[in-house]
Amino acid sequence: MDNSSFYERNKAYILTFLGLSLVGFVFIEFLMVIDWNYFIKYKLAILFTGNLDGVLTPPSSTYEAMVNKAFGPGYEAFAPEIIRASNERQLFIWWVFVAEIAIFCFMYVKYGRKEAVITKPDDEVQVFSLFQRFVMIANILIVITLIITGFNITWGLRSGGGDIAFFLRGLHEVTGIAWFPIWLLMSIIAFKDAKLLFRNSLTNKIILPGKYKPMKRIIYFFFVMMGGGLLVSGFLIWFLHPDAFTHGEFIQFKRLLLYIHFGSSVMIMFFMMDFVYSVGVAIKGNLKGIITGKYPREHLEQLAPDVLADIEGKGK
Amino acid sequence: MGKQPEFSRMKFYCDENLCIDCNGCVVACKEAHEVPVGVNRRKVITVNEGVVGKEISVSMACMHCSDAPCQQVCPTDCFYIRTDGIVLHDKDVCIGCGYCLFACPFGAPQFPKDGAFGTKGKMDKCTMCAGGPEETNSSEEFHKYGQNRISEGKVPMCASMCSTKALLVGDADEVALIKTYRATHKGKGIATESYGW
Repeated sequence: MDNSSFYERNKAYILTFLGLSLVGFVFIEFLMVIDWNYFIKYKLAILFTGNLDGVLTPPSSTYEAMVNKAFGPGYEAFAPEIIRASNERQLFIWWVFVAEIAIFCFMYVKYGRKEAVITKPDDEVQVFSLFQRFVMIANILIVITLIITGFNITWGLRSGGGDIAFFLRGLHEVTGIAWFPIWLLMSIIAFKDAKLLFRNSLTNKIILPGKYKPMKRIIYFFFVMMGGGLLVSGFLIWFLHPDAFTHGEFIQFKRLLLYIHFGSSVMIMFFMMDFVYSVGVAIKGNLKGIITGKYPREHLEQLAPDVLADIEGKGK
Repeated sequence: MGKQPEFSRMKFYCDENLCIDCNGCVVACKEAHEVPVGVNRRKVITVNEGVVGKEISVSMACMHCSDAPCQQVCPTDCFYIRTDGIVLHDKDVCIGCGYCLFACPFGAPQFPKDGAFGTKGKMDKCTMCAGGPEETNSSEEFHKYGQNRISEGKVPMCASMCSTKALLVGDADEVALIKTYRATHKGKGIATESYGW
């Protein structure tokens, strides 16, 4: 029985929670000019009334009614922050990623790279099925495309616009739609905790072998939640195409969706970079296995014993 | 201190008491500029519809803001403001990101669905019939932005077609004078300048 302290067992959850709380507090309190009161009430209004137009109270004057109908209400609630975010933040966004990469460089220098000692390279174990490999590789390719094309605004800002940035923007929208089934499949096959709840021949075939450690479970959680947030908000931003006459009904909702999209993309990017570091950089020999589906038995024994135990457990 | 040079500030004004929701301005604009289906550079909205004595309509398009949020928000700086205050944009630079739509208080930017892979294309909006950055009155300018009536000394199409002269356009001071004149002469017959040029 593990006799470590509560903190040691839940260190990853606690530090993630504290870190996100701190970053969230700094952003909300000091870096954003959103009307949070309206923000919360508007979300509640959508949930409880299904009303998207953002009119929370009936207009008190003809002028207000006209504004609501023609332009949508509460311009000051979200729009000024969008104006700031589109320019100031674009100039600083590079530094966010530089900071994240710096964290992982520090970890690399401090902890180094793990590598299994392989004496019998031919003794390999089939870890991933063809289906699992297809989903994982498709997910990797689509996510890379989404990240590159998702920076079309930043490319546009740096390059002064033009056809390439325009093409990237269109490609981002289409790739986002293509990601939906892959994200869904990836969320299913990576749901390793499902094996704690139910275990049958189907879960054995579909779900990836092994157990989650706390940090990987957090990464999975954010992949599912933020991926879902990105897909739903991105799809709705793309799908809702208000014309001049329906503009007032949808524009506030589209502004809200834009925030959900930005917020989700920032969150998922951090945890994805963490995942890429911990799987691709911190441990040698993992990437080849994603393509071939096979790993040397010694690699699994030394670096992923839970995966080997899971596979051997299935064979029994 | 010397006298500052005076520039005109071109503005639209729609008198909600005169607009009858005929949508003549909308149709005139679409027809004149060959605006694609699904895009309306101008719209007429009506509030208190059917309520006698309270129903009003107002015609709206780009308001050509002096401190235009679309210009502030555009990541590619495709907007530019002429010395007469007309806000124009360069479609060759626009990437169709839609930020101007999120930032515009008036819903002026419009997006046709003719972009890459059938996604939204380059932004389109009211130019106050002043064309764009292409050569004035060239076929390229017409194809991208529509007519350049301002260069010909003509009133924008919407205002010229307004049957009740609810829609005024011109230098802001002139438009204000007409509005003042109308207000002070209310009930004394129609005796106003048509456009405010």
